[in-house]
Amino acid sequence: MKTAFVLIITYVLAFGEVEVSGHLDLEREAFLIAPDSKHKNSFTLKQTLEFVYAYEDLSGLLKVYAQEDYYDTLQMSEHTKRSFARVDELYVKYDFEDDSLQAGKTIKYWGALELMNIVDVFNPKDLRSDMLNPDKLGVWNLSYSHFTDEGEFCVIMKLDEPDQKMAESSYVYNFLPQFIEYDASLQTSNGVNYPSIYLSYSASSDGEYALDYAFILERGYDSQRYLNSSVVNPLLLNQNAYLVNKFMSYNTLVVDATLIKLEVLYADVVADETVGDYSHVAFGFEHTMENIYKSAGFGIIFEYYRYDSYESDKYDDLDLYETMQNDMFIGARYSFNNADDSSIVGGVVHDLDYNEQTYYTQYESRVFESLKVRLDYYYIEPSKTTHTAYAVLGRHQRVGLNIAYYF
Amino acid sequence: MIRIFTLFLGLVASTFAVINYEVALKSEAVMSGFEDSISKMEMTLINARGQTKVRTMSMKVLEGLDADKSLMEFLTPADVKGTKFLNYEHVDKDDDQWLYLPALKRVKRIASKNKSGSFMGSEFAYEDLSAFNVKKYKYEGRAEEVVLDGVEMYKTLSAPASKYSGYTKLISWVDKKTFLIQKVEYYDRKKQLLKTAYFSEYKNFDGVYRIGKIIMKNIQNDKTTVLIWSDEKIKNGLKAKDFHKRYLKR
Repeated sequence: MKTAFVLIITYVLAFGEVEVSGHLDLEREAFLIAPDSKHKNSFTLKQTLEFVYAYEDLSGLLKVYAQEDYYDTLQMSEHTKRSFARVDELYVKYDFEDDSLQAGKTIKYWGALELMNIVDVFNPKDLRSDMLNPDKLGVWNLSYSHFTDEGEFCVIMKLDEPDQKMAESSYVYNFLPQFIEYDASLQTSNGVNYPSIYLSYSASSDGEYALDYAFILERGYDSQRYLNSSVVNPLLLNQNAYLVNKFMSYNTLVVDATLIKLEVLYADVVADETVGDYSHVAFGFEHTMENIYKSAGFGIIFEYYRYDSYESDKYDDLDLYETMQNDMFIGARYSFNNADDSSIVGGVVHDLDYNEQTYYTQYESRVFESLKVRLDYYYIEPSKTTHTAYAVLGRHQRVGLNIAYYF
Repeated sequence: MIRIFTLFLGLVASTFAVINYEVALKSEAVMSGFEDSISKMEMTLINARGQTKVRTMSMKVLEGLDADKSLMEFLTPADVKGTKFLNYEHVDKDDDQWLYLPALKRVKRIASKNKSGSFMGSEFAYEDLSAFNVKKYKYEGRAEEVVLDGVEMYKTLSAPASKYSGYTKLISWVDKKTFLIQKVEYYDRKKQLLKTAYFSEYKNFDGVYRIGKIIMKNIQNDKTTVLIWSDEKIKNGLKAKDFHKRYLKR
């Protein structure tokens, strides 16, 4: 089936009028505080290329991504295995008047909140990437949408669960202890090609207050995964996927200049001895003020996240490395509203259970017409008493610079 | 006798004087009837030192009975290519607005209450870009008859109906013959002159006028933005369905 997709897309792209765009990024990160065994610097060259074909109601897209890590280029013993090329998207789509059909490898976005989207679960993340800027893996699927005046009804059949490869332990965001090996082959009860089905309905209401809402039902593999060791080799970890019936919803209500947002999910785990039923709820607001200084806009953001597991004899948030289990986020965005689209965002995430804090700030601006510069700073103060995901990572401080050339 | 004659002249003048509201209605009428429009827009941002930056967009507009729907796609600069902005205007409540961010594949709802925010770092506010609609303004009094650059004009006064507008009053110069707006002065919340817009290069599509160029000069920061429409076609048969949220991601 995948071969057929590749042939169709190749034909479409080869014989149609194709628009090419992309960006080349040079990324430098300095880890001012990190465990001794890790590299204190990271240099990565990244390339994203997108080929788009459109002819009347037929369209196709190929998006490829490649990155080269400095330590891999030097072929040093402390290589990170962060150099790779992958196809993120490869699909064809046909739009009818009130319907559309799409087949291929795609990336989707579900969610309403700013810091993290707990319902944005369709695509797994690439664990070789910077965990503070998650990087989605494309997934093979078929989807059919029917559009009404107010919204969209959609059926999606996900056809595979990609392996999530991890960098070597010398990379700062590989949080496993050095003596632990990781096997990326995903362990499943029914095979990685067992289809997951998603039914979704999303729409906008047109009352006194505007509301965007979406409901999603899933029967298939959960996006939450757990690690366990192999029977043969206790120092070898595998990732495990299990089946769930899941309900998800994401909503945005507009009240004057404030967006009120809600994301919820409940997972009924079908049959797994390790993970029990759980829920995740997040809500927040974003208020924006315009022209606070010259033409600049200023937004304040508040968000709260809560994760609960309902079977006490099974894995809890700590076992599952869930970072947003009882967390509050307060952030701000300053948009200069200038010709270079400059902005500064920042905030603090406070874990109310384990007394952890993450501070971050990010500045972004266009330089000349084709270059974009991003500067960021992160500081993570992990729990001193509890074995959380951040405690495993260790106290962490980083400064990052990304220069991207767009074409 | 002189007093009676003066009174007579005054009566004649008031009988034939045009009120601001009437001029606005006629200005709206000459710009109405395009049904829908597809065009390209080039926006040149000029800073106080004369340095320029150019942005290009494609634009689709559906004319409504009361308010329009529009879908704008950014073409350049390259880092914002594919970003789309969907706007459903309303007269009696806030507009519905969504922004599509292609890098994330995210459709984000926008709170449109504050209409005074800068559009893409330009000297245009979002409220400047919506179609002219008399219901969005309050009018009082009579239009003044003046001459601007040798052309007879009506000079009219209006105030935004929304308290969330960035302006307290607008003074407009409207061509007496065509009722096309030629110049508008915008006064900020401190009642100081903020910007002056010059409208030109109107195109006549069988009696329906469409604007071709606006030069917006900000008096307070010496910056200027020039907006030019090109390749415009009207009455293309677009429907409300063509402004569905699905087209943000397409």
